[in-house]
Amino acid sequence: MGALSIRNVKKSFGNTHILKGIDLEIEKGQFLILVGPSGCGKSTLLNMIAGLDDITSGEIAIGDRVVNKLSPKDRDIAMVFQSYALYPNMTVRKNIAFGLDIRKVPKPEQEEIIARVAKTLQIEHLLDRKPMQLSGGQRQRVAMGRALARNPTLFLFDEPLSNLDAKLRVEMRSEIKLLHQRLGTTIVYVTHDQIEAMTLGDRIAVMKDGEVRQFGSPQQIYDAPADLYVAGFIGSPSMNFIPVQLHEEDGHAVVELDNGRAVQKVRLSPISDSQRDFVGKQVVLGIRPEQLTDPESAHSERGNLQTLQATVAITEPTGPDTLVTVTFNGIKTVARCHPRAAGAPGQQVELTLDPTKALLFDPASEKRLA
Amino acid sequence: MTASRQGAPGFSLSRLADVILPKLVLAPTVLACLVGFYVFIGWTAWLSFTESRMLPRYEWAGLVQYVELFGNDRWWGAMQNLGVFGGLFILVSLTLGLLMAVLLDQKIRFEGAIRTLYLYPMALSFIVTGTAWKWILNPGLGLEKLAHDWGFTGVTFDWIINPDFAIYTVVIAGVWQSSGFVMALFLAGLRGVDDSIIKAAQMDGASLPTIYTRIIIPSLRPVFLSAFMILAHIAVKSFDLVMALTGGGPGFATDLPSIFMYQHGFTRGQLGLGAASAMMMLFTACAVVMPLLYSELRRERRG
Ligand SMILES: Nc1ncnc2c1ncn2[C@@H]1O[C@H](COP(=O)(O)OP(=O)(O)OP(=O)(O)O)[C@@H](O)[C@H]1O
Ligand SMILES: [Mg+2]
Repeated sequence: MGALSIRNVKKSFGNTHILKGIDLEIEKGQFLILVGPSGCGKSTLLNMIAGLDDITSGEIAIGDRVVNKLSPKDRDIAMVFQSYALYPNMTVRKNIAFGLDIRKVPKPEQEEIIARVAKTLQIEHLLDRKPMQLSGGQRQRVAMGRALARNPTLFLFDEPLSNLDAKLRVEMRSEIKLLHQRLGTTIVYVTHDQIEAMTLGDRIAVMKDGEVRQFGSPQQIYDAPADLYVAGFIGSPSMNFIPVQLHEEDGHAVVELDNGRAVQKVRLSPISDSQRDFVGKQVVLGIRPEQLTDPESAHSERGNLQTLQATVAITEPTGPDTLVTVTFNGIKTVARCHPRAAGAPGQQVELTLDPTKALLFDPASEKRLA
Repeated sequence: MTASRQGAPGFSLSRLADVILPKLVLAPTVLACLVGFYVFIGWTAWLSFTESRMLPRYEWAGLVQYVELFGNDRWWGAMQNLGVFGGLFILVSLTLGLLMAVLLDQKIRFEGAIRTLYLYPMALSFIVTGTAWKWILNPGLGLEKLAHDWGFTGVTFDWIINPDFAIYTVVIAGVWQSSGFVMALFLAGLRGVDDSIIKAAQMDGASLPTIYTRIIIPSLRPVFLSAFMILAHIAVKSFDLVMALTGGGPGFATDLPSIFMYQHGFTRGQLGLGAASAMMMLFTACAVVMPLLYSELRRERRG
């Protein structure tokens, strides 16, 4: 039995169906990420786990207790809100103590907890300030402190970092990860930032329009996205999608890429049964930019690398590597190259493609052809 | 870039627009305020140190008017009435206004209609309020008569003609007029409270009454202050309401400093005494408001 089980949970406001049957299950101590575009229902799902919204149908269990009917305070969870939601009239100390006070924790014990939490989050010097007198990052810490003080079985985070500037966000991200490793408490974390999702999560649920498109480990989702949406959402810069016609040669999937001057044949992995149904038809070839690179950067120990010629359209240096935009089959395609091998606009470059990593999708159903 | 802008011919024109124009636009208002408030305060202050009777006289006479004022029983009666009226009026208006705002904040239906209904009294002038309540409270016309007509002949509600209770009728009329406005102030404050704060408190295990008493209402502190200031100044300058409702009577039972000032200054030919009482009203108002403002400003400076 998992730490959190969500079974066929639906939510409707009148006739609008916001969540259309969510199924998720995580083990104790796991870090679950709910990621998806704005309005896909992430906060709604989180509020339902918290008990702040009621469930239209389905079942949510925390540990082995079904909590559908329990009020938020009886669910043994703590939540960190996007806007921090600190009590403006109380000092940091009172903010942290409020929940303990309501639960009638004796004063000396409260003091101990506050001291412990403040030390963990390094906010000892802020204890007597009001929220108004804190910076965004400090408020963020206090909000986490308030959640930590309760020592719950489940933490909920609703986009806790989205109000911070980029640098602070990266800092807090690794702090949250450290904290999770130290405490080992189960966490459900909402974000719309795919980098946050990849770096923090043990399990990621990619949501869209009230449905979970894919649920798995970050690596699974990165290497084997379930459909075009997930493939495009995770990874930055995002995956290239090139329309191609699928052929079969010697048991391998083969596609043709036209760079504007010549058509080049690319030999992919051995063809699978589901792919064989699409031979002779249009499919979508998905290649991540880092799998399309210059020969020097390619891992040469792996045999079977395919070499492609292409004309450089734009180069965008990022520092460690340069993003080179070329055209295949009329589609702008991004390759990640070593700065020295990037070439200049108009030049011909040689790129290598790792065919084992290339993915094929059905353009109609958008599902990956496994 | 900066050098070219400094030398540009538009410099004086943009300076005119940026610096002088706002001052020019504000000047008449500032001037009107200076004359309307401070010049007349000064004039009144000067008159309070003279022996002016029907007409202003400007020879210095020292503190005679103040000595006379402090020896005047009617003045102390008026001050006492102001204390009772002001205290109750502010307290009840704040309590009622807050209560109505909290109830209205529970996402009830017809909220817009109810809010407007509560706010309507504020649109009336105090004269209208006073006259209306004079009729309502008149034992021969209003509530008491209504109760009698319905057969409850034992009911007596004659506060308005009872010297011991008349001041409370002024409180009733004043509260009726102002509590809707106070409610609107509090409602705006309540609406400004972030929803997620309430959610966070729910997660912390607080019940709705606890959330209100320990988090939301305390965070409305600035609203309390503004409401208090507004009500206090309404109380101190109350004049038309009492004139229309009771005329200061029965006897001097609902006499207020403002009525005292008006009658001595303008109808009894005791301009000097009236001016002295006006100055005392100003000091009273300052004594109430200044410490509050000061402490609030200090809080803000401390952050
Ligand atoms: N009370 C409500 N009545 C009707 N629709 C609602 C209500 N609350 C939310 N919605 C709708 O539910 C959908 C999901 O909202 P939700 O807040 O869960 O999105 P989200 O995924 O958290 O987005 P974001 O990243 O912007 O926070 C939205 O389309 C929203 O318009
Ligand atoms: Mg949200």
